[in-house]
Amino acid sequence: MVVSRLPSTALSLKQFLQRQRVLGIYRNMMRTIRKVPDEADRKYLSDWARDEFKRNKNATDKDAIRMMITQANNHLEELQTSMALAGS
Amino acid sequence: MAARVLQQCVRTLARPSLRLSTGSLAVRAAVAPSAFVHRPLSFSADSRRTRWLVPTRIPSVGVLCRQYGDLPPLTLETIKERVMYVLKLYDKINPEKLDTCSHFMKDLGLDSLDQVEIIMAMEDEFGFEIPDAEAEKLMSPEEIVQYIADKKDVYE
Repeated sequence: MVVSRLPSTALSLKQFLQRQRVLGIYRNMMRTIRKVPDEADRKYLSDWARDEFKRNKNATDKDAIRMMITQANNHLEELQTSMALAGS
Repeated sequence: MAARVLQQCVRTLARPSLRLSTGSLAVRAAVAPSAFVHRPLSFSADSRRTRWLVPTRIPSVGVLCRQYGDLPPLTLETIKERVMYVLKLYDKINPEKLDTCSHFMKDLGLDSLDQVEIIMAMEDEFGFEIPDAEAEKLMSPEEIVQYIADKKDVYE
């Protein structure tokens, strides 16, 4: 019998990939927010992003997580377009 | 004979500067065609003169060593200092617990989002971008120091 050497709490491949995607979105989000010129706005936005991610950190349902990833991507896109508009 | 040639050389060198300093605008306008003829001469004399001046200037310039980058050279020590400085300023880290080999999540109690933010703070500090795949492997200050040293070609 094959005994898995992985600890029981280890993520499955799909969960792991989802985790990577979430972290990637967070990184992109922070990169975008960093370009906001106003100090107070930057603080507000990064706090907002962080709270949103934190609030759902215990989510386990993979469909729910997928929906949240889509939602986060939408927010990110919105943020990027408004940044582009503000910058031009 | 030699004296005459020398005299002529001196005169051709001296004349352009004289012409430039004494010749008024009106005179120059009146003798415009001849001025055109003379101008190349004065240009060549000027360039020759500057070329003569250059060697005397070089030693004084050579003393002032030019620095094209404004940053002092990186060493492992300075990288480590800067990494630790950035980490101390990060508000979720307790500076007393911080050590070069402490693991961000196990020892300092941070989560993966904090780790992302730390890596981005390092990007800010050192002015280059760390790709995602490598960013998530950096879990302790000493790993960050090692990574930056590798990227910046710093060795002991």
